[in-house]
Amino acid sequence: MIEIGRLLRGSAAGCVIGCWVSQVTTPQYGGLVRIPVAENYQVYGIIYDIQVEDDGLVRQLLSADVLDDAVITDNRLNRNVPVEISVLFAGYQEDGMIFHLLPPRPPLTLDAMFQCTDHEICTFSSAGNFGYFRHILRASDLPVGELLSSHLRLVDAAQRHQHNPIWIQKAVQELIILLRDDYGLLMSVLAALSDSHLILGEYRG
Amino acid sequence: MGDRNSQQRENQIGYVVGGGLKEGLRVRLTVDPQSVQEGGFVVIDTGEWQFYGLITDIQLGATDPRFADEKVEDRLPPAISQLLHGQTLYANLEVLPALMLKSGRPEELPSEDASPIPVKTIPPHHAPVLLASAGNIAEIFGSPNEEGNFVIGKTREQGHPVCINLKKFVQRSSGIFGATGTGKSFLTRIILAGLIDYNKTSLLVFDMHNEYGFDDTASDTGKSVKGLRTLFPGKVRVVELGSRPSQPGRNPDFHLEIAEKDIQPEDIELLTRELNLKETTPTTLHALVTSFGIHAWYRHFKAMKPGTTIEGEDGKRVPAPDSVEAWANEAGVNIMAAVALHDKMRKLFDKPYIVPQPAADSLGEIIRLLKQGMHVMLSFGSFDSDLDYLLVTNLITRRIRREWEEMTNQHRANKKTVPEPRPLTLVVEEAHKLLNREMASQTIFSTIAREMRKYFVTLLIVDQRPSQIYDEVMSQLGTRICGWLGDDSDIQAVLSGLAGRDALRGMLAHLQPTQEVLLLGWGISMPIPVRTLRYDEEFYRNIKGGSKFGDVDQINRELGFDL
Repeated sequence: MIEIGRLLRGSAAGCVIGCWVSQVTTPQYGGLVRIPVAENYQVYGIIYDIQVEDDGLVRQLLSADVLDDAVITDNRLNRNVPVEISVLFAGYQEDGMIFHLLPPRPPLTLDAMFQCTDHEICTFSSAGNFGYFRHILRASDLPVGELLSSHLRLVDAAQRHQHNPIWIQKAVQELIILLRDDYGLLMSVLAALSDSHLILGEYRG
Repeated sequence: MGDRNSQQRENQIGYVVGGGLKEGLRVRLTVDPQSVQEGGFVVIDTGEWQFYGLITDIQLGATDPRFADEKVEDRLPPAISQLLHGQTLYANLEVLPALMLKSGRPEELPSEDASPIPVKTIPPHHAPVLLASAGNIAEIFGSPNEEGNFVIGKTREQGHPVCINLKKFVQRSSGIFGATGTGKSFLTRIILAGLIDYNKTSLLVFDMHNEYGFDDTASDTGKSVKGLRTLFPGKVRVVELGSRPSQPGRNPDFHLEIAEKDIQPEDIELLTRELNLKETTPTTLHALVTSFGIHAWYRHFKAMKPGTTIEGEDGKRVPAPDSVEAWANEAGVNIMAAVALHDKMRKLFDKPYIVPQPAADSLGEIIRLLKQGMHVMLSFGSFDSDLDYLLVTNLITRRIRREWEEMTNQHRANKKTVPEPRPLTLVVEEAHKLLNREMASQTIFSTIAREMRKYFVTLLIVDQRPSQIYDEVMSQLGTRICGWLGDDSDIQAVLSGLAGRDALRGMLAHLQPTQEVLLLGWGISMPIPVRTLRYDEEFYRNIKGGSKFGDVDQINRELGFDL
């Protein structure tokens, strides 16, 4: 279990996690994370933003003539302001069942967030019929194409490890069905997927 | 059940997405559009009902026109563009629903539900649409194994045998149409062979072009084709007009000569156009009949010598007693009109097949043969002008009408002792010459088409210009078998009086120029285009061997009968 950080603030649709720079090397844009809230209840989300705010000292350091490596390392490890990771809720698991719905109870502050393992990614993404895509597609203020492309690439890698190479075809097909009435968005998403060099086989849905 | 479901999955080509009874059903295609064709016979299975229909149109569509307009293959990887096309580009079928049948085994259904009925409702959304199997075809058009069903051809896509019911085919007048060169004669041969084999009606074929009785050579392949007498030597007689064979090696069973006494004024009036007769003709003919009687007028008129004169008592030249002028004077007829008629009728007087006293009563022999159940091919030999054709067909048919009316009336008067007359089908080639708007009222054929069914006589008309046939006659045709037609008015004429004309019009226009026909009308359960059988060695073998051209075991299996 790789802990990424703890919850700073949240809502019914998403939350922001705070973490140290040292923890930031693990989570990825589009990655699937989980936040255990209670026994037999945890919330799943997708990372859609990672913000590194300046902490006041950074400005002073940048204005110095010479920036020593030790100073940079010290600033990163001992910052006053944590790195903020924004998470879009994608579903939850309760009593062993996966739901691609918004969680009935959001996690609370300082709840720990963990990166999902390949097994957890596959369990969540294979449940139901890609219902969690609608949470991503609804987020009109996000770069949906980029987010989906990154997310699908990560899930595809996990699914392939679990010997399920056709998941990606089914996922792309579902996206096309969901977006076929929105030509602009669909073409933007497909263009992003093309750039991510996903390998799609001969699956016929 | 498992077999049926897996067969359904194999044959499924789409599902219903909309439409109605009037405009037809719209079906979303789930297979490559190139795997179906206009005119394809489809079945829509709702579980409760099976709907039978025809594909009348295939249309390409897109969820958004931009998906069709842009070639995304240039922008996206093949796999993604393939998935995109699969979900955004599609093909829709238009299906003309024609019949519906209660689902279930026929023997388990109430009798009123065991036969297909004209479509009265529509299947629900997403009902699966399947290409018809041989069993489905047999459910609608009859099994090739049943008495009276004759395989006329096969469905275009899957080659399932399609039957016409010969009993229905001859119950009412029928027509075979197609532009010249579309294989009408071969198709007619095939159907005549079927009718002869079926042997429930006698055929009298007015074989204007000498095609049906004797062996011939196909103009397209150059191969020899068998005549119907060769195929059915014990059932077919060839009669040739005139007293001697027109072609060496083609010896008819006997010759037909017309007795002068059999020619009546109406036979002459019928030839108004061919002889360029004037409006005075009926008056002159009436006077001739009054003077000489109905059986002798022709002989006397022929014997008259127009323009001959003798010296009168006063020394002046006067018309000779045997001249047309002398008779006209005596009968009070306009001399000029009588002379003109005599002059124009010279074409008939010169016909060698019209004789004072035929060597035998060959017309009576033809009728006797037909009554006995034989089939007669009347070959016109070298007398193949319209004049010969119109005169002889009308004359013979008038006699037949009289005979069959008499037989029917006798049967009706005494049903216990007098049997029904043997049904008779008159096969008329170049029918528009006898049945056009102008002639229909004068010839006997329009009467036969309208009324003679009651007297067991029907017509099978063979023609390339159905639009020239009087529409009152066309409306009487029960079964229509139509090959390719190029003219809009001909297409319209063939489809007159049928439901779904607009949908069928396209189908008719898109038939292949040869070997494809559209079956239509009262005698056909629903319209269907078929690829006709070839009139070749295989056909000869099958018709002689009694094979009905279908894999009966397969059809029974598909109908759900245990073997």
